Amino acid sequence: MAALGELERRVMEVLWGSMGTPLTGRQVADQLPDRAYTTVLTILDRLRRKNIVERTTEGKAHRFAAPASRETYMAQLMVEALGSAQDRQAVLVRFAEVVGPEEAVVLRRALEDLPDEPGGT
Amino acid sequence: MNLYLDAGILSALVVLLVCPFSTRLARANWVTRAPRAAVTLWHSLGISATLATIGAGLCVATERFHAGFVGGVGELGEGMVGGHPLQGLGLPDALGLTLAADVGVVLFSVVGVVIVRTVLARARHRRLLNLLATPSQGCMGTLTLDHPSPVAYCLPGIRPRIVISSGTMRLLDQAQLAAVIEHERGHAHERHGLVMLPMTSLTEPFRWIPFARLAPRAVAGLLEMAADDHSARRHAPSSLASALVALSTSAAPPRCAFAFASHGVNVRVQRLIGSDRTSKRAAIAAGLLCTLAVFAPLAVVLSS
Repeated sequence: MAALGELERRVMEVLWGSMGTPLTGRQVADQLPDRAYTTVLTILDRLRRKNIVERTTEGKAHRFAAPASRETYMAQLMVEALGSAQDRQAVLVRFAEVVGPEEAVVLRRALEDLPDEPGGT
Repeated sequence: MNLYLDAGILSALVVLLVCPFSTRLARANWVTRAPRAAVTLWHSLGISATLATIGAGLCVATERFHAGFVGGVGELGEGMVGGHPLQGLGLPDALGLTLAADVGVVLFSVVGVVIVRTVLARARHRRLLNLLATPSQGCMGTLTLDHPSPVAYCLPGIRPRIVISSGTMRLLDQAQLAAVIEHERGHAHERHGLVMLPMTSLTEPFRWIPFARLAPRAVAGLLEMAADDHSARRHAPSSLASALVALSTSAAPPRCAFAFASHGVNVRVQRLIGSDRTSKRAAIAAGLLCTLAVFAPLAVVLSS
């Protein structure tokens, strides 16, 4: 499964890199020389079924494009990771919440008092 | 033998648990020295209040059998199996039965709905990560997100994902980064996503109950401390503390109120740089309170 996800990501990067111009399966496969053409087609079809990739047909040739940019997906991911509690259903646990300026002063001061000795308990 | 009295005692117990006990526990400082035991204690309060509410309803419904709680519930069950559950049911009995059944049904369906919603949200987020995040070169089992915002989080699931943004990597040195990743591994290993599930489901529908308001926030904070401890057992606590300060003061604060959250960061930094991060006594105290909370409603109904 992890390898499949990895390949999906690389296919998407090719499509995102084409600046909105739809590519044929062959054109995508050419940019992924370590993968067979048929594998790339399978991945494109999987992505199409997930509605991440759009397919247009001209005559006999299928062309593939990413309707939403990488930035759109990244923005959505960031909202889920950083947003308010309602947006953050998926990511319950996050390392650090952002604090206000007064709090920041207090926190930095607390660290300054810390002696420089590494080593845990 | 009077089950109405038991029902009264159980109702009082419920009120005590979800109001004054919860408020006290949310304010208590000693729990930060035993975060994992304290999380269990919050869960125990919830379980105890649920058991006591259902128990109170059943007490009222079974008083008419004059057979004690166990005997009464037995006869009630026999009546249901025999196909005449409502025979001889007076108004108070019916009310009691309705209360017991409703609390059970509402709780389980609400928890069920939230579990399904959360699992779907996590699957959606995992799909986004599959498209956008690359496996890290240096740190095994983590994903790198090419984004300037300093974020570090754990996406819970069967195979939890630990996500570190490139902004975080730029901000922290090697020791701090290792400590942060270990903190996230703590969340993953101790299955904090699972621990948090029943708590998140309470907040929305039961906002009017202090317990439902306080418990999710308290448990979320305690789980962060538990993950801090996981990291501090393997890396220098001071690295984690400085990473925590660096990350939480790096970005501009969002407009929404973060008072509690920031308070949480301060407490976490203080306990990481302090000498008494964890204490056996606090853990034992929390454990005793857990046992007491869960057995109190059982003791009330079984004594009659």
